[in-house]
Amino acid sequence: MKAMTSRSRRFYPVLAFLSASFLFSPLGLQAQASTSQSSTSAHGDRWLHVRVISTDAKGDTVRVNVPLELAEKVLPAINHDQMRNGKVRLGNVECDGVDVRALLDAVRTSKDGEFVTVQKRDADINVAKREGYLLVHVKDKDRPRAQQVEVKVPMKVVEALLSGDKDELDIVAALHALANQGDMELVSVKDEENTIRVWVDSKSVSD
Amino acid sequence: MVLLGKIALGFGACVLTAGAYTFRQGVVRVDVDENRGNGSHVHVWAPAAIVPMAMHFVPKREMLRAADHSAEFMPVVHAIAKELQKYPEAEFVEVYDGSEHVQVRTHGGSLLVDVDGPDEHVHVKCPLATIDDVAEQLAAYAPGA
Repeated sequence: MKAMTSRSRRFYPVLAFLSASFLFSPLGLQAQASTSQSSTSAHGDRWLHVRVISTDAKGDTVRVNVPLELAEKVLPAINHDQMRNGKVRLGNVECDGVDVRALLDAVRTSKDGEFVTVQKRDADINVAKREGYLLVHVKDKDRPRAQQVEVKVPMKVVEALLSGDKDELDIVAALHALANQGDMELVSVKDEENTIRVWVDSKSVSD
Repeated sequence: MVLLGKIALGFGACVLTAGAYTFRQGVVRVDVDENRGNGSHVHVWAPAAIVPMAMHFVPKREMLRAADHSAEFMPVVHAIAKELQKYPEAEFVEVYDGSEHVQVRTHGGSLLVDVDGPDEHVHVKCPLATIDDVAEQLAAYAPGA
């Protein structure tokens, strides 16, 4: 019996070591994760960022960072109203009498150039297709500090958006196409109250 | 004496294993502090490991009812929890609204929601694996599952 206890005693340090390493393994992993964490995404993920900064004294700020892959996986799980399997069914839905799908399809199939140029006393509006991008520029001059809207969407994203059935927009396909694009600013809105930016890059944080 | 030692060793090993399992699963934490007079202070800390286990003891009738109510959005919760596990250290939403600060992020494999306002502070922490487990169990009771 004595021999057995002395033999088992020899295993105590090994047991203690194994228990301690098992017990503290999550800590070790977390420490590794935190040291390797940086603003750049570890496995080449693409992130969609939205930032709204209010110019008032309170300095209200909204920051949203969404991995495009996460959005691609989660959107098909949302089946509510017009949203089904990552696609938005337009049906007869029109935006202020504008057939969105027909408009996008017309832009997709046309050559580079300026489609809309409106120059009014209070606003300038410009819609163009150039070097594989759909560009929208709006300048509202009827304010103390002119509102400026810039939209830049890769045509590949527009094409992916239209890749579904005739009466639907494929949001997941558009996000997938967007993930394959380089770092870019999609939307920029500046006015007297807010600055809004929507952009895509490989960083998990917006600043 | 040796027998007692063996019993103690066995008991110690069980406690160590249970502790290690609980530690690995993380902790579900809910802290609510209201600053106003007679404001409530709620602090709940529970090992996340017991949540999926406790769900096995919930009467089937109640599970079916809960699954029926949550059937529409439970697949979304499951998808989000599953995908968020790929981003154990990330900040998703941050809102500064004057005196209020809202933050939604992941840290150490847990989802953290922090709301700090002038009147109250709410901090919720839940391991993503636990959210995924709960969503999966509820989905199993959903109509048509």
